[in-house]
Amino acid sequence: MREMVFLAATGVFVTALLGVATYFLLRARRISRDAWSSLLGRLKQIDREKFTRVALDLLDDDGLQREHLDPETIFEMIGGMNGLDALEENCDVLVDLAAYVQRWYPEALLLAEDLRLNAREIKWHIGRLRGASQTGHLREQFPMYAQRAVATYYLMTRSLLVLYEGVRLPEFAELQHAI
Amino acid sequence: MRLTGVDNLLWALGFIGHLVLLSVLVLRRRARSFPAFTGLISLSICRTVVLFFTLRLGTAESYFYTYWTLAIVDVGLQLAIAYELASKVFRPLGPWAPDVSRSFLWIAAASVAFAAGMTWLAAPPTRTLRMAIVIRGDFFASALMSEIFVAMVALSVTLGLPWRTHVARIAQGLGVYSLYGIFTAAAQSYFGSGGLTHGTYTLLSRLEGALYLGCIAFWSVTLARKEPEPRKMPEQLHDELRRLQGRAALMLKSLRAQGSES
Repeated sequence: MREMVFLAATGVFVTALLGVATYFLLRARRISRDAWSSLLGRLKQIDREKFTRVALDLLDDDGLQREHLDPETIFEMIGGMNGLDALEENCDVLVDLAAYVQRWYPEALLLAEDLRLNAREIKWHIGRLRGASQTGHLREQFPMYAQRAVATYYLMTRSLLVLYEGVRLPEFAELQHAI
Repeated sequence: MRLTGVDNLLWALGFIGHLVLLSVLVLRRRARSFPAFTGLISLSICRTVVLFFTLRLGTAESYFYTYWTLAIVDVGLQLAIAYELASKVFRPLGPWAPDVSRSFLWIAAASVAFAAGMTWLAAPPTRTLRMAIVIRGDFFASALMSEIFVAMVALSVTLGLPWRTHVARIAQGLGVYSLYGIFTAAAQSYFGSGGLTHGTYTLLSRLEGALYLGCIAFWSVTLARKEPEPRKMPEQLHDELRRLQGRAALMLKSLRAQGSES
């Protein structure tokens, strides 16, 4: 009896291993085949102009006049939690866009890794905002958290553009329009 | 143990194949990049010679202990290869990312636990404890190596980390061989002591030998070829990226501070 259980378990085990390996190898192949178009297709629509204004209002870049946006305006410009949900999903795409460059430039891994850690932290803070929205404290906490998250996201997009431009990838122009 | 002409042929071809592969590793200077893999191939050559003479000149007892001691070293080297390949995939530029090293340790621990569980389930009908240890040890090693290689593929695809050509080829060969090894080890476990002479086991075992010869040929050809040289990013670009990431880190720090205040 135990031998039969062992054989059945081994069959399931090997099938599971083959299934997992096949799934991930096919996924890697698909990513590699239509990587660029599918990557850009995964970007969620956000109002880039408004997100940039919200970010620059905090970043205090040289030569830029800060608008001193009030919390209500920040909430409206980002689009509330919907805007942050889109930003959260886009963070993953930014990481993959950096990883895309690794095919030719392995050193791009450094940026992909940094972006991945940034993305993880942004997601954690957005998760806290979700918690606040459930307890009815979203409006109070939103501007402080959200503006910093948007500013970090903005810096992530700048890093990505600098990378693509720096290594002279032909996809740079398309990326500039997309993020 | 009685060996047939086919077994002797597989043994001899394996020995010659290992010598060719070792020559490729040394002459093409791959040994420096893959010391554990080179170690395994060198061990396989020594093992063939030692076991050949032990079988002919030694006793069954001495053959068992020699076989088993070398098998333990073999499994140790296979684990070292898994680490060697993982370190090339998951830290191509230096240190491990904190969450990657944690994930990898989890994978290793879970793989050991699961392989141990599967091995415990095996109950080979043997007359001696020694045979039970050999059969279970074979199964454990194959299950563990297969799990680790599949998990490495899954983790690298999830993280978007590419495999360089030589690393991928070594992993593919070892992964396929370990996965197949589960079938042979499971058959051996099912048939027990009498399994060595059972037709199904003999067939699976010879197919395993032939598959391994295929792996040796695959490694010899692919490792002899050059892999594409990676391009370098200009230093100025590194500086600019470091500056931007420094600012992002500051922003996240203020986010954390905000979080701890509220």
